[in-house]
Amino acid sequence: MIPLQNTENSNYPASSPSSTMIRLKNIEKVYRTDTVETLALNNISINILKGEFLSIMGPSGCGKSTLLNIMGLLDAPTKGEVKIDEQKTGQLSDSLLAAFRNKKLGFIFQSYHLINDLRVLDNVELPLLYRKLSAKERRRLATEALGKVGLSNRMKHFPTQLSGGQKQRVAIARAIVGRPEIILADEPTGNLDSAMGSEIMDILLNLNQTEGTTIVMVTHDENMAQKTHQLIRLFDGSQVQ
Amino acid sequence: MIRHLFKLIWNKKKQNFLLITEMLVSFIVIFAVFTLLVFFYRNYKQPMGFDYENVWAVKFERPPGIQSNDSLKLYYETVSNLLHSMPQIKYVSFTSGNFPFSPSSNNNSVSYLKNNTVSNFYIVQDDYADALNLKILEGRWFNKTDGISKDQPVVINKTLQEELFNNEDPLGKILGEAPNTMKITGVVTDFKDKGDYRPLPQGLFVRMDTSNYRFIGTLLINVQPNTDAAFESKLFKSLSNVMGSTIEIVHLTDQRKSINRITLVPMIILIIVAGFLIINVALGLFGVLWYNISLRRGEIGLRRAVGASGNDVSKQLVGEALMLSTFAIIIGSFFAVQFPLLNVFNLPSNIYLIALLLSIVFIYLLVIICALYPGKQAAAIYPAVALHED
Amino acid sequence: MLKNYFKIAIAVLKRRKFFTFISLFGISFSLTVLIVLTAFIDNGISANYPDTNRDRSLYINFVGLRKQLPNGSSNWNGSGSYYFLHHYTSMLKTPVKVAISSNTSATNTYVNNKKLVIGVKYTNDSYWDVLNYVFLEGKAFNIQQIENGDHVAVISEDLKNSYFGDVPSVVGKYIEADNVQYRISGVVKNVGVTNLYASADLYLPYTVSKGNYKDESFIGSYNAILLANSKADLPKIKREYDQLVSRISPGKDWDQLIVHADSYLETFTRQLFGGGTQRNSGFATFVWVTTAFALLFLLLPTLNLVNINTSRIMERSSEIGVRKAFGASSKTLVLQFIVENIILTFLGGFISLVLSYIILQIINNSNFLQNTALTINATVVVYAFITCLVFGFISGVYPAWRMSRLQAVDALKKV
Repeated sequence: MIPLQNTENSNYPASSPSSTMIRLKNIEKVYRTDTVETLALNNISINILKGEFLSIMGPSGCGKSTLLNIMGLLDAPTKGEVKIDEQKTGQLSDSLLAAFRNKKLGFIFQSYHLINDLRVLDNVELPLLYRKLSAKERRRLATEALGKVGLSNRMKHFPTQLSGGQKQRVAIARAIVGRPEIILADEPTGNLDSAMGSEIMDILLNLNQTEGTTIVMVTHDENMAQKTHQLIRLFDGSQVQ
Repeated sequence: MIRHLFKLIWNKKKQNFLLITEMLVSFIVIFAVFTLLVFFYRNYKQPMGFDYENVWAVKFERPPGIQSNDSLKLYYETVSNLLHSMPQIKYVSFTSGNFPFSPSSNNNSVSYLKNNTVSNFYIVQDDYADALNLKILEGRWFNKTDGISKDQPVVINKTLQEELFNNEDPLGKILGEAPNTMKITGVVTDFKDKGDYRPLPQGLFVRMDTSNYRFIGTLLINVQPNTDAAFESKLFKSLSNVMGSTIEIVHLTDQRKSINRITLVPMIILIIVAGFLIINVALGLFGVLWYNISLRRGEIGLRRAVGASGNDVSKQLVGEALMLSTFAIIIGSFFAVQFPLLNVFNLPSNIYLIALLLSIVFIYLLVIICALYPGKQAAAIYPAVALHED
Repeated sequence: MLKNYFKIAIAVLKRRKFFTFISLFGISFSLTVLIVLTAFIDNGISANYPDTNRDRSLYINFVGLRKQLPNGSSNWNGSGSYYFLHHYTSMLKTPVKVAISSNTSATNTYVNNKKLVIGVKYTNDSYWDVLNYVFLEGKAFNIQQIENGDHVAVISEDLKNSYFGDVPSVVGKYIEADNVQYRISGVVKNVGVTNLYASADLYLPYTVSKGNYKDESFIGSYNAILLANSKADLPKIKREYDQLVSRISPGKDWDQLIVHADSYLETFTRQLFGGGTQRNSGFATFVWVTTAFALLFLLLPTLNLVNINTSRIMERSSEIGVRKAFGASSKTLVLQFIVENIILTFLGGFISLVLSYIILQIINNSNFLQNTALTINATVVVYAFITCLVFGFISGVYPAWRMSRLQAVDALKKV
């Protein structure tokens, strides 16, 4: 096991992390086809503390996204153990996993993944649909989340009527609407120009500082990565830093 | 969740328009088929109302030589007497061409005071009720003593009584206007004289007399049980000689089969055709839903990521399909209820309502069956893969 | 180029087996229903044994008398009497021959205490010239025998078999019907029940009928077939007959005599769609109603195909995007798609021909319609061909239009 190196940064959160939020232990992921066996992740162990902002870097195909999917319980590791908030996840059923994702996790994607046939507000409400909430309560929470990303005036629009930056802000609103403790962002600024990109990054940093949300971000952008507490580099499925 | 599905469909109404149209047309086809089925089934459940096992009908053409009413009367009496002399024959009655299970019918308007309706008119003789074992409910069948009255003696059936009289006692009441008045001597049970699947008709039995001789074209004979073909061939010869015209003897049991066939064959063809149409639609629906899943992999992956379980996803897809069919059903029902409201085809409105309910259940079941498997497929989509495809 | 389209289309259809199955099922089933129905209609209306001269024949099967009353009208409708048909048609100059025969009426005969139901038809001598019966043995009765009122008969093969059993020859033997013994002069091949004017089991001279053929009233139980020299003479005969009828007085009890010499199909359409007066031949209405029915029937399968095709196209949107990006114009793509659909519908059309053949064979063998052989003939194949084209076109055009409107960028990007 490679010991973790915490990069000390000036903007360390005010509420100092006390316990582990995500614990990956000896994670291995193998993709098999009929003829080829690909080792996507090789013996990865990471501890992410509560309130930490971690970034993952590496060249294309190094296994970053796979790692993020495993943290997000969207994918199961071939070997190893994923613990989130001290809860083992390996044995959970599909519906328990879904509930777990719904409560604890928020996702942001490079290509936004907004549903084009739903208005902005309805897109943001989406995670709340899978909770027992009244329509009114859902609306209130979604409006509030949109306010936080500065899109109160776009609630009735369809995604196709928005710019890329606005779309990603909607996606962030959707990720935070359920007040998850963890946000997993997969190259959130990858499709955006640098101005919009840093706008999005500011929102994430702000979220991390004020709400204490644990954030794991995959990125290609060295500058963005430098703004986070901890940086992990992957190469060919192995952790190199 | 229902509201969410509604929004999802409403916002895609352009794409869903054709799908809803298809469901709507299927719904209407199914409604039509169910209406017929319910109609036939209800008729089938009604008792036949008469005995036909040992009844034969002799169809004849009046010999051209006999013209005057007096000679006709003599002619009918001669035939009657000949038949009564045979021990195998229990009852005999001349009747108009619309004898039971014959394809022909004779409809006329009949009125009581201000009530007016159209009824079957059967011109028959005194032994007709016995020949067919019709049950008298009130009063009596007409007989010789009625012959002298200026009002033509008639017997009506239950359905006609209900139509014309409500709760009033029909016995002795006069139908029609002078000079063609008829006096009711009795009420009989309804009988399904057009086969098992036809509704109970309104019926009025008129006593045969000189005024209606020209409508007579059939002779009903009730024979002893187990009367054989040998007797029939003898009867044919004797009748043929006496009547002097081309005659044909038919058994009501055979007539019943052939008249039922006239009703059933088109219905069976209709059901087969409609059945294939529905299979066709079901396959199409299945195909569309199936293809839609691959179109919506991203969305499904996302829903899984934000906390939908596999079950939630498959429920959602089935729910969407049900919502679509609900639109079609609402529009279709709007058209369907016009039938009882406007009283098209003159069927009781509860036939339409039962058919409507059955069609709704049928469409929902069909849609659920078509959506279940695609829904399962959708649930099996691996979110990690779906989200990183593009 | 077209060959290329064809190749791609076949490849796509092979790859999308499920889709191909659904489409083929829909198309072939719908066309099968239409082909079987048209086979029934075709059998009903086109010339077939023994009425092979149908396209140069006119039929008189309806005579109506009207009297205008203060509240409505009084009608007496039926077939013509022998006297009426014979007397007036013999005045016509254009027809070559006039066949007069009675409606087939049923009677019984008993053989060894087994009842036979037989259809009896009374005919004149020209009947045997106008209709081309195939005589298995013997020949028809001649005018001399008719004038003498001889008890002679022509019987059908069915009647021969059920009455006499398996014997080589029955000409000269006697058959009893209606208590009369008739000497058999000929046996003809069976006629299908759908051939309303020609189907019977026992053909007798009209002079031996129990009804009075000399009765001068208009209404009776006879029909006439007027045979023309050629098809071109038919309108002339119609005109000639209409003029003749307009000069006939309907008698003191009636205001109006209605009778027409109609083509075979018109005799039905006049009854069905001609309206109460029977003045209109109803032919146009018939065409409208059948077309509307066919269109309505095709609506569901078409909608079905359009829906599947649209989904299929949207599923392939990324492929379309790539093609567009590499320079395929909307036009080529639309064309490709329509070619794909037309190939599919023709494949479906071919399957439906096979299915229809099987179904018609089953119907024929079940003897559902006695002595009637339903066949797929050239007309039906042409109908099917046209339907195929329309089907393929309609179900391909709308989705193709939707596809052509997809922008390359949108098509490449999904969700």
